[in-house]
Amino acid sequence: MSRLAPVVIDNGTGFTKMGFAGNNDPSFIQPTVIATNPTTSNQSSNLAAKRGAEDLDFYIGDEAVANSKTYALNYPIRHGQIDNWDHMERYWEQSIFKYLRCEPEDHSFLLTEPPLNPPENRENTAEIMFESFNVQGLYIAVQAVLALAASWTSSKVSEQTLTGTVIDSGDGVTHVIPVAEGYVIGSSIKSVPIAGRDLTSFVQNLLRERGENMIPAEDSMTVAQRIKEQYSYVCPDIVKEFQKYEQEGDRYFKTYEGVHSVTGQPYTVDVGFERFLAPEIFFNPEIASSDYLTPLPEVVDTVVQTSPIDVRRGLYKNIVLSGGSTMFENFGKRLQRDIKRIADTRLRRSEVLSGGRMQSTPMEVNVISHKKQRYAVWFGGSLLASTGEFHSYCHTKAEYDEVGPSIARHNRVFGTVG
Amino acid sequence: MIILEYSNRIIEDTLNARFNPENKPKPIEMSFVDFDGVSYHLSTLEGQDTKLLLSIRWKCWPELVSYGANDVLQREYGPWITSPESGYDFSLQFDLENLGADPEELIKKVGLLKRNAMAAPYERAFDAQAMAEKEENWDPSSSQLMAVHYRDGEAVYIQHQQDRVTVIFSTLFKEETDRIFAKVFFHEFAEVRKKSIFSHCPQVLYSNREPPLEIRYVPGLLDSESQGYVTFVLFPRNYIPGAVREETISRIQIYRDYLHYHLKCSKAYMHSRMRARVSEFLKVLNRAKPEDNSGEKKLASGRTFRRS
Repeated sequence: MSRLAPVVIDNGTGFTKMGFAGNNDPSFIQPTVIATNPTTSNQSSNLAAKRGAEDLDFYIGDEAVANSKTYALNYPIRHGQIDNWDHMERYWEQSIFKYLRCEPEDHSFLLTEPPLNPPENRENTAEIMFESFNVQGLYIAVQAVLALAASWTSSKVSEQTLTGTVIDSGDGVTHVIPVAEGYVIGSSIKSVPIAGRDLTSFVQNLLRERGENMIPAEDSMTVAQRIKEQYSYVCPDIVKEFQKYEQEGDRYFKTYEGVHSVTGQPYTVDVGFERFLAPEIFFNPEIASSDYLTPLPEVVDTVVQTSPIDVRRGLYKNIVLSGGSTMFENFGKRLQRDIKRIADTRLRRSEVLSGGRMQSTPMEVNVISHKKQRYAVWFGGSLLASTGEFHSYCHTKAEYDEVGPSIARHNRVFGTVG
Repeated sequence: MIILEYSNRIIEDTLNARFNPENKPKPIEMSFVDFDGVSYHLSTLEGQDTKLLLSIRWKCWPELVSYGANDVLQREYGPWITSPESGYDFSLQFDLENLGADPEELIKKVGLLKRNAMAAPYERAFDAQAMAEKEENWDPSSSQLMAVHYRDGEAVYIQHQQDRVTVIFSTLFKEETDRIFAKVFFHEFAEVRKKSIFSHCPQVLYSNREPPLEIRYVPGLLDSESQGYVTFVLFPRNYIPGAVREETISRIQIYRDYLHYHLKCSKAYMHSRMRARVSEFLKVLNRAKPEDNSGEKKLASGRTFRRS
């Protein structure tokens, strides 16, 4: 049998992206949630008391959400790491057989892991994949590295390098991850507690405070999310933007048209300042919360500054965006401008301090945005898995049988134990 | 989910999005698979975003055609059939501006493409059996044994007799554990039928290594411990033309994948039991830890003192 396309599954905290290598988009994007039957899943104590096929009575993804009234929802991944292996194993079971419809024995699999994933987790994953599913081959890639690889499609990228800073902003949390030659610099990773979900609730608050009474209470979250996704953009200067809205409101104010999910009544919502205020909380977090006050550009700068000195220029030069919350118009431009400003100020200061005796070449700051940003990690995986060498990078079933789960600690591409 | 779905979800989802007139047509290019090594390719024609082309490739396609797959496909997909794309066995083309059918029904139909192609030998056998039943002096040697080698090392054999149709699956397990699980599974399968409520079900027989008499003369059968044979004996009441027949064909086709799915589920279930048991044991172990009686106590400031 000719080799079938490898399967690429990116299990994120919020959403799972899965599909076949070589495609541009994942075939399925659905919440990483599993709905189990609460009456039979009391776990551990009476697990052995099972008499029928109760363990098959569950749903995953969108179907799980649809059945949340009668089933108990579980989120098997927390903060990017797999938390409940029982649920995760069953999640994969149904992903493979019901959604992707492939025989795992015929395919190689590419899975992703967050940076700083403990090797034990990787071993557990390998154990499930090889022993339950008998997969042909398995490769576990670091999400940030895949996001870097995905940026190679952008026209702005001149060389294919695996050095760069990845800003990964999904639904739950935003990470800034420096990567040098494919190695993640673990000690410098920073996370920002602002991500898609916070933006949505910020928009929701703005709408509520302004008194948009037309929105039905149960839909307010979805409406806020739609408004965020459809109308939001990043402005260069918040004060000027306010002025623009004051002067020519007609051009900037939009209306959102929705339909009540229960009664079917149409309604309209005015969309105003939240268009540029929502993404602004990345740059001025103080407008949304009083706990976290460091703007994203500053975080990125700190991350680069704490990395080894010989890769700093490379890290500034290649800042890659990944994840849905980086999709706002002009997000990249604004970030680039702000980071550049910080870096330039520092250079100028060191020149002044040295009394003008030291002249350094100006720092090149590049923020790269590309079309595949939203599913950058998955797309990077699809790129990697569709190359000819992929099969030689995979750990095969035979090797697993020989070595055991510890084989997953070794990465063939980088040749390290990590 | 106990029984796998018969239709391909990726096809259904994609076509659903494409056939929706609210979505603007845009170019698409994707390839994906289905069980048993089926490859699909879905694309738009070059420069024409409203023309969708769906192609299928399957290694047993020539065999299916020789058992009349083209007639079945012609019946199901007549207006949409087009000449096969190079590298593929069969292609369907849809014009988004003029679908020529109710989109919902069409999507459902297209999702069953693999199932319908595979239905051909079954339909032929069922029809042949119905004919044979009417004949008085039916010659057993006139019955053709239809073999479909749908995977490497695995095949399904279909043959009709005067009063029944026999379907034999040859199964091959790459993994020792799987084979043992399967053995238990088959045993249960054959056993459970003895209960009276299942007496209408087709008879199921399982043999390990030894091929059943019907196919014993077929050359090239693998003789190894990992080879097994599952035989289904279908009587006319199992395939009354209409809904029952369609359901029987769908079910029997998905049988192999159903089997493997359940083997994997059983292993997952075993694993969760093992995990539960280990955490129970760990609790016991933790309770059994001897208490630290060395007498050294720590103060909050970090200094230690010894209690006499």
